[in-house]
This record gives sequence, structure tokens and C-alpha cells, in this order.
Amino acid sequence: MNELIIVIAAIVFAPIIGGLLFGIDRRITARLQGRFGPPILQPFYDFFKLIGKETIVVSRMQFVWIYSYLVLMIASLICLVLQSDFLVLVFLLGFAGISLVLGGFSTKSPYSHFGANRELLQIMSYEPVLLLLAIAIYAQNGTFLISSILSQDKPLLLTLWPLFIAVLYVLTIKMRKSPFDISTCHHAHQEIVKGITTEYSGSQLALYHLAEWYEIVLVLGIIVLFWANPIWVGVLIALAAFLLELLIDNVAARMTARWMVRLSWSVGLILGILNIAYIYFAKGVF
Amino acid sequence: MIDGMMAIAILLPVVAGFLIFAIRNYYVRSVVVVLTALVLIANSILYAVKGPFTYSPTGFDWGKLITVLDYAILILYLYLGLKLRNWLVLIFSITQIIPLAYFEFGLKAHVDVQPAFVVDHLAIIMSLIISIVGSLICIYAIRYMRDHEEHAHVEKSRQSRFLFWLVLFLGAMNGLVFANNLIWLYFFWEVTTLCSFMLIGHDRTEIAVKNAARALWMNSTGGTAFIIAIIYLYINHGGSAALSVQNIISGGIQNVALIFPVALLCFTGCTKAALMPFQSWLLGAMVAPTPVSALLHSSTMVKAGVYLVLRLAPAYAGTYLSSAVAITGAFTFLATSALAISQTTGKRVLAYSTIANLGLIIACAGINTPLSIAAAILLIIFHAMSKGLLFLCAGTIEHKIWSREIEDMEGLAAKAPLVTFITAVGMLSMFMPPFGMLLGKWIALEAAYKIPLAAILFVLASTLTIVFWTKWLGRLLQVVPKLGWPLEKLSPSYSVPLWTLLIGIFVLGFGVGPIYSNFVSLATSNVIAGTGVIASGWNSISLTAVSANQKGGGILGSYPVWALFLALAVALLIPMLFFGVKSKQLRQVYLCGEQAGGIDTDEWLAEADIKTKFILGGYYFQGTVGEKALNPWVNTIAILLLAIMIACGVIAK
Amino acid sequence: MGLIKKSQLKSPWILHFDNSSCNGCDIEVLACLTPLYDIERFGIVNMGNPKHADVLLITGPVNRRTARVLKNLYDQVPNPKMVIAVGTCASSGGVFHNCYNVLGGVDKVIPVDVYVPGCAARPEGIIDGVVMALQKLAG
Repeated sequence: MNELIIVIAAIVFAPIIGGLLFGIDRRITARLQGRFGPPILQPFYDFFKLIGKETIVVSRMQFVWIYSYLVLMIASLICLVLQSDFLVLVFLLGFAGISLVLGGFSTKSPYSHFGANRELLQIMSYEPVLLLLAIAIYAQNGTFLISSILSQDKPLLLTLWPLFIAVLYVLTIKMRKSPFDISTCHHAHQEIVKGITTEYSGSQLALYHLAEWYEIVLVLGIIVLFWANPIWVGVLIALAAFLLELLIDNVAARMTARWMVRLSWSVGLILGILNIAYIYFAKGVF
Repeated sequence: MIDGMMAIAILLPVVAGFLIFAIRNYYVRSVVVVLTALVLIANSILYAVKGPFTYSPTGFDWGKLITVLDYAILILYLYLGLKLRNWLVLIFSITQIIPLAYFEFGLKAHVDVQPAFVVDHLAIIMSLIISIVGSLICIYAIRYMRDHEEHAHVEKSRQSRFLFWLVLFLGAMNGLVFANNLIWLYFFWEVTTLCSFMLIGHDRTEIAVKNAARALWMNSTGGTAFIIAIIYLYINHGGSAALSVQNIISGGIQNVALIFPVALLCFTGCTKAALMPFQSWLLGAMVAPTPVSALLHSSTMVKAGVYLVLRLAPAYAGTYLSSAVAITGAFTFLATSALAISQTTGKRVLAYSTIANLGLIIACAGINTPLSIAAAILLIIFHAMSKGLLFLCAGTIEHKIWSREIEDMEGLAAKAPLVTFITAVGMLSMFMPPFGMLLGKWIALEAAYKIPLAAILFVLASTLTIVFWTKWLGRLLQVVPKLGWPLEKLSPSYSVPLWTLLIGIFVLGFGVGPIYSNFVSLATSNVIAGTGVIASGWNSISLTAVSANQKGGGILGSYPVWALFLALAVALLIPMLFFGVKSKQLRQVYLCGEQAGGIDTDEWLAEADIKTKFILGGYYFQGTVGEKALNPWVNTIAILLLAIMIACGVIAK
Repeated sequence: MGLIKKSQLKSPWILHFDNSSCNGCDIEVLACLTPLYDIERFGIVNMGNPKHADVLLITGPVNRRTARVLKNLYDQVPNPKMVIAVGTCASSGGVFHNCYNVLGGVDKVIPVDVYVPGCAARPEGIIDGVVMALQKLAG
């Protein structure tokens, strides 16, 4: 019964928090650029406007995939709040990402096509880091269950700080911030039109934005796990990471897909492998 | 009754094969194939119902027959080596004949292993896979080969010959998984190599013969290692008793240094499973007609290789050899997953993916804990079904568009929606939750920390598998804005195996909890004692760990099977069933406004208003992960790893 | 007014399309997006994609070739949509209205809601035009 309340609370409140975070994002970005910027509630105005548009499609399946993206993102969030297996969470998140990519592939459209391919490269960049994080959590705690992280008194950040840095890469990719906003991005970028979301419009685009809100809460939630006791410290760290991403976004330019893959597979992997190696030699095998 | 069951499993396919070879009428032959298939399936289910037993055939000197046939096969290889002027085939047949002759006449070996056949749960599971998946593929082959010969304008039909080898192969595989006598196992092993050679070279084109010869000599290196292992065991470990698989794995023979022959047998398993650096024979085998690729080179024959390594796991538990086997398998998993990204031919992607998963299974055997062995067995079962299904789909697609290239499969969802649907589900079942393959991979990842390097290689390889599956699936789905694609017609010879395997994937995936508890766990305990996999509650699988330093209540991880299926249903099934599209909602794709024609056009007006088709191309990254770029590196590392593996066998600790 | 209606007024996404303009009006449209005028504070974002747009800002006179393209893009914009003809050329063809390849203003091809005259139209004028279009949308 308790679990049901937690799940419903997560499903209802996460998008609100996510939308507000995106609104704050646009506001702070604007201030960094020397202008006023939209109100904080702007993402919600965008969302309801999109719902009010007529439905137009370019294929029968594109709705299925974007809806699947949303549902699986919510499922991953439920995995997080119910404190179940971290590896299952990562796999569900992967499935959600694949649904988005297949949505981009579901029409014969040039911009959608290479937006989808780039999105696939993005997934390929951050997935190993999350999987290595799962293994590192096991190495540290002896189990993959998230509940064990919350019951610890020693925070994960102390031993897993290299992976924390790698997870910041993941956050940048997930938030679609420069230098990793290569598959689709917010605001006025027209290099690849809208990449993977080119052929989406109206209420389907609204579902995409809703899924993004869930996603930001999910990824920040994973960062919160790095300092779960007391949890307000973790929340502060997550918010600090979020603000750091805004700074990075406004300082960096968009780079190429190759550079992104190379960077995350070298720096991200080395940090993860060194972290796991350190824990292995310090603690031994289970 | 046991006599009957064993005879049906091993001898009926031989008899049926000869009968099929003799029948020239297409319809009568088809009926015989279907009947044989049904009998084999029923027989294997009978095995499952009856439970484990041991068996030694009496009343006829089977051992002598097998020895005679052994020599016959090896002399055939010798002849083939000379006829094809292939020195490697020649050399590796000589390296088998001479030691075998030494064993027979020099040592005057008397081999009497009791029992000759051991049917335990692991063998029953393998037999179920062989009989059910194999029979379905034989049914598929009936119509497939007829279309194949029609399209190639073959004058003299050779379908009988094809089906003969296909059905005979099933008998050999059954014998292989039941055999306890190493000499008999070697015989069945060689028969499968022979079937593979005959089937790969079936089309008799130059490239088919060349690739068949390559498969032959590479598998013969494994055969050579097999013979040497047998001789070593016989001389050093107590004669005939040492040639019983059960004795080897239970250490019933007193001697510490069993590790060397076991290492050789692992090497044999690696060649049959086409691990690196032997992957080229499996890739070359893809030129054969699709039923060959489906049966031999994904579901069944290559599983013999991993079966041997898995069966012998208790014999090398806790040694350096075990870690070496794990790293060899994990490295193959990673390297072939990377290479698969660059392949433009559908069947080659499937081949590389097969080798990758075989590497994963062997790595699980090498990790050698109850969890990893459970993962290995689950992966064997689910991989056989999913990959068999995907190969059959690839064959069906090939017979629709008459091409094997992924680029030609673009927009297949419009031309052949039914096959595209089955292929899409098959692909998703290979790497996505909640299906059984992912469950196996999940258990493998959670068990892998015992050898952390293996865990890291698993992580990297899992990521790469996502890329090539999604890329290919995406190409199938790219259609122009149009509604109402008509469903294509499929002959029952195609659709029955496809739908059966698809439904099987769902049923087994959904019911994996009870299936594990009541059935697969017994097979796990055949290999290793203690089980860490517990199915409970809402059909969720929990893994318990063995060590004392556990937090989290002794539970390592938990996988909610039914909850995940529910998520899948809500995510994909509900929108597909309830979301309809009206044609007035269709719009053209965004092409900067330059479309030439209506909404469903794929042409645009280029300079001087010339109508040009717009062409999409897949990404293959051949500069980074292509065969030319990677092969020198990965083959070298793989040879080194195999050398280390054999060295661990020599060091024997 | 309803939530959706209010949101439509607070989040008009634009598609900027140049028929065959001299780029004068385009630069003025771009100027609106800069920190000096900052139309993003009204929720206006320049989407490069007709399927995401609500308001079309069209510049330049329509010629025979861009007529086809303009119609194509207009069809891809989902309802409700507003069309604003920015600049004299978009309104009526401007100084080019007699050329052999020029059809005239944007209203020769698609229905226009607001005309913003000027050569080039001033950013204040463009913003005023957008506000007028939103008022028209509100009814």
C-alpha cells in the first residue's frame, strides 16, 4: 500500500519538478546571456499549447514509439523510487532510449534518420558508464539493490567519486546540453533541423517533452544516490550538478558525434574501470 | 522403453534421412519430414517427462561400428583435402588419423565405458532444443529449398540431399549431448562437422566450396585436440575409465593434473563455437542456404561447442583455466559485437551476434558459480529460439526481396509487414527486457564480478549489441507517409515455424520463473552444486549471493518478470491496438519544402527542378569497427588468449 | 480563458521562411531574437521545423519556385496557425512586384493574418505584428 502511494506520488510530482527545472534552466541560461528569459512556468505553457494542436502524423508507428518512450521512462522512475535492482533500471532506461530511436527511424525522413543515428551514438556513449556504475555499486555494497544504498551511513560519493565525474558526462548527454547536444536540442538550433523530433508535432511532441521531464528527475535521482544519507545533501549535490550543466552548456560549443563517443569511451570508461579496480583491490571479491 | 527412446532420438533421423534422400516426390518427402519432426518433438518431450536415466546399448558391438565409421569419415576428409587441393584440410585430417590409429593399434586401447549414455537434465534441455527448434527448421527448409532452387534455376533438384543431411544432423546432435563415452562423443562431433561441410557447400559454387573447406579444417583443429585429449586421458589417468565424461567431471579418477586434457577439450569447444580467432568459418558459412545457418550455425551445432565447455565446468572449477576460459569468452563477446556494427549483410550481423552470445555463454561457464551456470543455461535456451527465429526471418526476407543486404531491406515494413513484425519482435527479444535473453544477460552481469575484467568486457559488449540491432531494425521500419499496407501471404512451411518460435519466446519468457524452478535449476545442479536463482512472488527472479558480507538482506538483485511484461504491454501493445491514424492526418516529411509530388513521394526537385530520389544510408563505421580495421588487433589478442588458456592447462593449478 | 487557449498565447513558436528576400527583413527578425529585444521572454522560440511551429514569419516576395515550397511548408504546420507577412515585399511584392518571376505578396499563395509593412520592417513592428496575431488567435 505504501509502495502504491510512493509510485503515484512519483508519477504525479516528477513531471512538475522536471518542468520547473527546465523552466529554471531557460531562465538562468537567459540571464547568463544578458537577457530576461521566459517565465519559469514556460515549459508548462509549451506543453499545453502542444496538446491543443491538431494531430498530424507521418507514419502509423511514430506514436507507438514515442508513447513507449514515455511509459518506459516512467517505469524506470518507478524502479528508482521503489528502490529495486539498479541494473534493471539501467536496462529499462536503455529500452526507453531505443524506443525513441526507433521512433526517429519509423519514417523515411532525412533529418529524422540521422537524428536517430546520432541518438543511438549518444546512447552508446552513456550506457557503459551507467552499467559500470551498477557494478561499482555492487562492488561497494555487495548487492545491486538501491535499498542498500539508502540504508548505508557512508555515502557512495566518498568511494565512487571518479564514477560521479563520469555520471556528470551522462547528465550532460541526457540533458541535451552542449557539447553533447548532437541529436536534437532545445532552442533555436537549426543545424539538423530538429533531428530526431523533426517529424513529431502536437500532442506527440508534448509526450516527448513530458518524457524529458521524467528523465531529468530520474537522472538527478541517480545523482542523489551518491549521497543518500542524509538525503538533502544528495539533493543539493544534484541541484549543484544541474547548475554546473547550465554553465557548461553556455560555455561550450556543440561538438561532433565522433568526439563525444571518443570522449566518453576514453575518459568515462577509464574513470569507471579505475574506480572498480580500486574497490576490488581494497575490498576483495564477494 | 528406454531402448526405444534412445533409438528414436539417435537412429530414427538416420533412417528417416535415407528415406528422405530416396524419395523424389516433393509432397511425399515433405510429409516424411513433417512426420519425423513430430516424432522427434514428441520423443524429446517424453524425455523431459520421464526424467534422468543412464543407458548402455547392448546386443550389438556399437563401439566397433563407431570406430569403423570414425575412420571412414577421416579418410573422407583426407580424400576431400586431396580433391579440393586444400592442404589445411589434408593436414588436419592426418593429424587426426595418425593419433587415432596409434590409439587403436599402438595402445591397443580397449574402451568400455559404462554407462555409454548419461541422460541428465542438462542433456534433456539440449535435446529439447535440438528436437523442437531443429524440427521446426527442417519444416521451414521444405518450402525454402524449393523456392531457392526455383530462383536459382537449378536443373537437377538436390533438395533430397539437403534435407538428408539436415535430418541426419539432428540424430548426431542428440547422440552428442547424451554421450558419456568420449570416443562416441568424438564420433558424433565429427558427424556434425561432416554435416556442416556438406551443407555449407550445398550450392556447389566456388565460394561455397571454399568456405565449406575452411569450416572443415578449422573444426578439424578442434578434432585433433579432442583426439590428443583422449589419448592423454587414457594413458595418464587410468585407461578406459578415464574416458567417461562423468568420471572426468566428478574427479573420480585419482590424479590432480586432469587440467591439461580438459584445456584441450575447451579448445575444441571454442573451435566448434567459432570463438575468435576461428570466427571466419562461421562467417563464411553464411553463404549457405538459410536453414543451414539457422540450424547449424546458430541454434544447434555451435551449441555443441558451448555444451562441451559447460559440461566440463566442474572439472576446471577454481583453477586458472577457469578464469582464462572466462576472459577468452568475454573478449570474443566484445570484439564480435563491435565487428557486427560494421556489417552490411543481414546474415553476417546475425553470425557475429551468434558468436558474441556464444562467447558470453562460455564466459559464464568460465566464471563457474551457480549464478553464472544458471545464466549460461538460460542463455543457451533463449538464444537458440531467438536466433533461430531471426535466421528464419532473414531467409523469409531474402525470398521476398531476393537480397541479403540490409540497405535493400529499407522500408520492408511496407512491402512485407507480417515478416517485419516477426523480425522486429525477434530482434527486440535478443536484447531488450523483459525477454529471456536479457534475463540471462542480467544474471550473467550480476554474477560476473567474480572475475571483474569479465564484468567490464560484458558491460562494453552489451552496449555495442544495442547499436547494431537498433540500426538494423530502424532500416526495416523506414516507410513513406502512407497507410494501409496489405499483409503479405506466407506459405505454412514458412509461417508455422516462425509463429511457433515467436509464441515460444513469449511463453518461455513469461513463464521463466516456474520453468527455472522446476526444470532449469535441476540442470544447473547437474553442473554445479548450490543455486542462487530463486523465482518467487509476482514471478520475479531474485539472486542470492553466497558470501557473508552482504547488505540488502542477502539478495543480490531482483528482476520482476511479470511487471516488466506488463510495462511492455502498456508501452507497445496498447498504443498499437488503440491508436488509429486517419489518412487526412498524414503529412509529408520535412524535406525543406522541396517535395516533388504528393504526401507519399520520396522524390524531390533538385537543381533545375530535376526530380531526384532522396536516398537514406545506414551508418556502418567501417573505418573504426570494420573487419579491415579491427581484425589484425582482435585476432592477435584472441590467439594470445587461447595460448594462455592452453598454458593454464599445462600449469594445472 | 481555458488553459490551452492561455498557453497558445504564451508560447507561440515561429517558423521563419525567406521567399526571395534581400535578407533585410530576415536580419530584423534575427535581431528580435537577440538579447536587445529578447522575444524569448514571450515564449517565442525559433523552431526550424514547420511541424513544431504556430506562427509563420514569411519574408520576401513570392516567386514561381518558392510558391511551391511555401505551400508545402504551410501544409505541414498543424492548426491553429497564424501567418505574418513581414516586410513590404512579403505583403505585396514590394519593389519587385513587376518582375517576370514574381507572383506578388505571400497572400497570393496562402492566407495571411497580419501584414507588417516596412523595408526593412523594424523589430518593434515585427513584435507588434506577433502580438496582433496572438490577439486575433484569442478571438
